[in-house]
Amino acid sequence: MAKELIQKSVEELAPLLKDGSLSPVELTNAVLDHAEETQHTINAYMTIYREEAEQSAREAEKEIKNGNYRGMYHGIPMALKDNLYFKGKVTTMSSKIHKDFIPEDDATVVSKLRDAGVIFTGKLSMHEYAWGITNNNPHYGAVRNPWNTDMIPGGSSGGSGAAVSVGSSVASLGTDTAGSIRIPSSICGIVGLKPTHGRVSKYGCYPLAWSLDHIGPMTKTIKDAAGMMDIISGYDEKDPTSINTPVDQYLEKVKGDVKGLVIGVNEEYFFNEVDNEVDQVVRGNIKALTDQGARVEVVKIPTLKYAEWAELVTSLSEASTIHHEDMLKRPQDFGDDIRMLFELGELPSAVDYLQAQQVRRQLKQEFEEVFQKVDVLIAPTLPVVASKIGEDTVELNGNQVDLIDNIIRFTGPGNLTGLPALSVPGGFKGDLPVGVQIIGPDFSEALLLDVGYAIEQTNPMKNRKPPLLLKA
Amino acid sequence: MSLSVKQLLDNKGIQAKPEHLETLESRWKGMQKLRGTLEGVKIEDADIGLRNIPGGDHIG
Repeated sequence: MAKELIQKSVEELAPLLKDGSLSPVELTNAVLDHAEETQHTINAYMTIYREEAEQSAREAEKEIKNGNYRGMYHGIPMALKDNLYFKGKVTTMSSKIHKDFIPEDDATVVSKLRDAGVIFTGKLSMHEYAWGITNNNPHYGAVRNPWNTDMIPGGSSGGSGAAVSVGSSVASLGTDTAGSIRIPSSICGIVGLKPTHGRVSKYGCYPLAWSLDHIGPMTKTIKDAAGMMDIISGYDEKDPTSINTPVDQYLEKVKGDVKGLVIGVNEEYFFNEVDNEVDQVVRGNIKALTDQGARVEVVKIPTLKYAEWAELVTSLSEASTIHHEDMLKRPQDFGDDIRMLFELGELPSAVDYLQAQQVRRQLKQEFEEVFQKVDVLIAPTLPVVASKIGEDTVELNGNQVDLIDNIIRFTGPGNLTGLPALSVPGGFKGDLPVGVQIIGPDFSEALLLDVGYAIEQTNPMKNRKPPLLLKA
Repeated sequence: MSLSVKQLLDNKGIQAKPEHLETLESRWKGMQKLRGTLEGVKIEDADIGLRNIPGGDHIG
């Protein structure tokens, strides 16, 4: 029974918890046991909250029995990325410098999930300070990809991606500054949504780069992500970037109807230098949507040619500002890879930074013009699949190319513009998952989830599961 | 006169790891290449979009 439970999504588990045929205690124990069993192979967790989770599960069981069911996530065991603050709990950012840091308040997303009845099973590993995409952490070890444990899970939310994929967390949250929700989601074969900047409060999330940071769901299915968006979205006066605009009914709007949908395809940027098999998978999914009544329009976004530069200058400068004092006083306490990025981030001038912001502004205007003509853009989430742990390059059509530069190429524009972007599993290259990215206008998360659901309904993953999940 | 990456970092009090300098030089040059000329970007008149909110922002 435990093996079946950990494979289930929130949308499958919620009705069982609601009608009492499944106890939150049984489910939580199954997830905790699996988390402990897979820790030595996957290393997804920083900390497991066994006792607290069992206590919360007993309370949830009692509440549900008494008729106080709170909704889809009530009684769901879940671990979160270790840059989201839990009041009174060590929150490390998977760093050495913050290894004993104890926040004085919950992150807004944590308190919202707690109010929805989520059972927190622990904190998940991440690339140190979220400043990287491999999750090969020098202080706490590498997180491994459940589809192939020689491979990276992606990052920086690699613990979240691996845990959801292997079933040691039923769902999770990630943070995304250049793609850190979508990259591990694509690589681990799960759903990841980076909402519009300002849609989900960032209060209580340790920053990587303020103007680019986002928090969003990482889940097994589209409906799980929609249900989580219903909980975590909304204005928060504690976050100065939060936007006070009405919240959608995300789950209610997931129907998968794409008849009449206009899909924009940008060949010059989003289909340039893409692994041939990844390209075929993404185009195959677009074809599946047109078979259901959508149509394709080719679009141009000229300023995308400067997007990589603007993303690098902005993220490097902002991240190095945050860590400047520690770089002066204790640089040896950073992992070598991020120390080099913090050094690099000291180099751009104020003029470079401000010109990068002008590029962002122009890029946003061009995307807005495109969304006058099309409903969504569809692209590969990544131009490649997972690389081997410890390697700085990745194979792209027979050539070894720089890993970090290539892996953020298609996700970075979503951060620069703040536009919502969803990664949904679209198929495989060999035994490694491939993600399809759907980008839309500001606050169009419901539309993106609906299109993602249409893709999910075609069963592009052919019901395949990571080998480690099946062995459980 | 153009300053080396090491000189630029020294001026800011940042002690770059000696093993990093070659990669930093290479990455910095790579970024300049990505920047190019910014042809087509309205550098002179594109507003970066930061807002000054009268009375401050809404941090509690």
